[in-house]
Amino acid sequence: MRSASRTAAGKGVQFSESPVLAVKLPVWRSRVVLFALFAGFATLAGRALWLQGLSTEFLQKQGASRYARTLELPATRGKITDRNGQVLASSLPVKAVWAIPEDVLEAPAEKIRELAKLLEMNEQDLRKKLDSDRTFVYLKRQVELDVVDKITKLNVPGIGTRREYKRYYPDGDVMAHVVGFTNVEDVGQEGMELAFQKSLAGTNGSRRVIKDRLGRIVEDIESVRLPHDGKDLALSIDRKIQYIAFSALKEAVDKHKAKAAAITVLDVKTGEVLALVNLPTYNPNDRTRLTGAQLRNRVMTDTFEPGSTMKPFTVALALENRLVTPNTPIQTAPGRITIGRATIGDAHPHGLLSVAQVLEKSSNVGTTKLALQLEPQQMWDMFTTVGFGQQPKLGFPGAVAGRVRPYKSWRPIEQATMSYGHGISTSLIQVAHSYMVFARDGDMIPLTLQKAGDRPISQRVLSEKTARAVRQMLEAAAGPEGTAPKAQVPGYRVAGKTGTSHKLVNGQYANKYVSSFVGFAPVSDPRIIVAVMVDEPSNGFHYGGQVAAPVFSAVTANALRALNVSPDSTVTDIIVPQNAVEESM
Amino acid sequence: MSGRVNLVLTIALVLCALSVVNAQYQARRLFIELERAQAAAKQLEIDWAQLQLDQSTLAKHARIEANARRDLNMVPTTPERTQYLTMGAS
Repeated sequence: MRSASRTAAGKGVQFSESPVLAVKLPVWRSRVVLFALFAGFATLAGRALWLQGLSTEFLQKQGASRYARTLELPATRGKITDRNGQVLASSLPVKAVWAIPEDVLEAPAEKIRELAKLLEMNEQDLRKKLDSDRTFVYLKRQVELDVVDKITKLNVPGIGTRREYKRYYPDGDVMAHVVGFTNVEDVGQEGMELAFQKSLAGTNGSRRVIKDRLGRIVEDIESVRLPHDGKDLALSIDRKIQYIAFSALKEAVDKHKAKAAAITVLDVKTGEVLALVNLPTYNPNDRTRLTGAQLRNRVMTDTFEPGSTMKPFTVALALENRLVTPNTPIQTAPGRITIGRATIGDAHPHGLLSVAQVLEKSSNVGTTKLALQLEPQQMWDMFTTVGFGQQPKLGFPGAVAGRVRPYKSWRPIEQATMSYGHGISTSLIQVAHSYMVFARDGDMIPLTLQKAGDRPISQRVLSEKTARAVRQMLEAAAGPEGTAPKAQVPGYRVAGKTGTSHKLVNGQYANKYVSSFVGFAPVSDPRIIVAVMVDEPSNGFHYGGQVAAPVFSAVTANALRALNVSPDSTVTDIIVPQNAVEESM
Repeated sequence: MSGRVNLVLTIALVLCALSVVNAQYQARRLFIELERAQAAAKQLEIDWAQLQLDQSTLAKHARIEANARRDLNMVPTTPERTQYLTMGAS
């Protein structure tokens, strides 16, 4: 044994003869090793099962979040255009500048000063904004892209930008009440922006992509959800006529020191609203100092007592029911009529007038005598069919219905005052729309603020004969003998009616007036209706014929020319009598 | 025999693998190009909107009227200074 071990040490031994093997080890030791190995494998298998089988979803998500990104694809808000496709409102991309206050405050003072200058802010204001506990503040919304570029170049730590849209209104205050405006989130707040919010807005899309280390997009991993841009909206408004109406109305407001004024121009053939102006107005691009009075859309949302502009409907109803003809004489002397305890009077006593002259001279007494021959229900039906007391179907936010009380509660005095437009309230758009009955030979079509495609369905209200007869009377009313000779237009025959009414202040008639004029032209084949309303003219004049009629004349002359309507009158120099008939109130 | 088949298959496999690499590369390259073109389209759309807006701003009636009156000394026409031509009239 000793010699064998010596030999092994000398030239190596066979494995089987290795002396180590000869050592007897306890059996449990190999068992332990075997068990440990098995346990190790089992742990690995379990872990693999856990990762691959049970938590795979979580892990894949974690993985994806390290390379996959969901990108929002913003939809652009639709443009608003006028009837000729000229842009009235359009969205352009801008950026919101935000900051992480803590990081920004570490920047050198001069950089912050420069940043404040670029943001057009006071340095102190900027510092005040940054001096907060919040981890994220917007410094300024809707910053234009060239300014953003400069800000990015400044390289101030903690400053970031976010893409958003800003709405631009090239026509500013001229179109303000029609188009309305959106807020910083590009959501409609007023006007057509609000009315058509749904179709203008569009829906954002999204896509999931893989980005590489440098932030470049490598590929799409899911199908892309494309953004649907908002639909463009073509309005019925004619930009040129809108401007004509705006400048004429502005001139009148300045001249008569009026509190407010409104005008609307309608297309007789299609029912489209060609212009709609309210004063005072505002600039939708800069709404920092906006008051309620400026926001008010008087054409749609303000009601007033229409006054004499209602008289043609009473006359028309009397003609339609064959109670009178245009030549039937009516005694209006002595210029007063007493019903119950109330007395209705004319501004000037006129004596014996024909029905046509009652309208021409705007006699309250004459109209009252006609109205008392009519049933309350007939009058109520008439008012309702031409749209008074009915919500206009324009889809415009805030359009009011006005007020015509139910005929069952009418007392005779009320029926009389309503016949000349008192004791009922209407908006200007309703008055303008109601005159369509005379401008269109007795039928009416609905109004629209969108560019009309198909022919509207018309509804007959009066016979053609009555409508034409009243139209003739209205032409006389706007003539040299009527209450509104200043409404005349060189080259065109016009028809229309003035209205003047006291304003109600706390339920009492005050010494404040609303002057109005509603008319249409050219009489031979009416094309446009123009309705003007001036609220509280306070420069000495307050009759509709003096305040509102000249606006009508100016707008009609220019609008008809803009529409290429050929003249139907050879009269080119208008003679305005020095002392025209003043209408009755 | 089987050694030769294996060799052919190995070569085919390597070629396939290389073509996959190539195809992937081409796909990425084209994708980047597409991406760039789409961004350009988007930018052009924005430019178009901007130009339309500029046109609308410059064609503002208030501006045209002011320019016509002030710089060009123009006045609005009136019917008595207008010659109307009627079609078909002799």
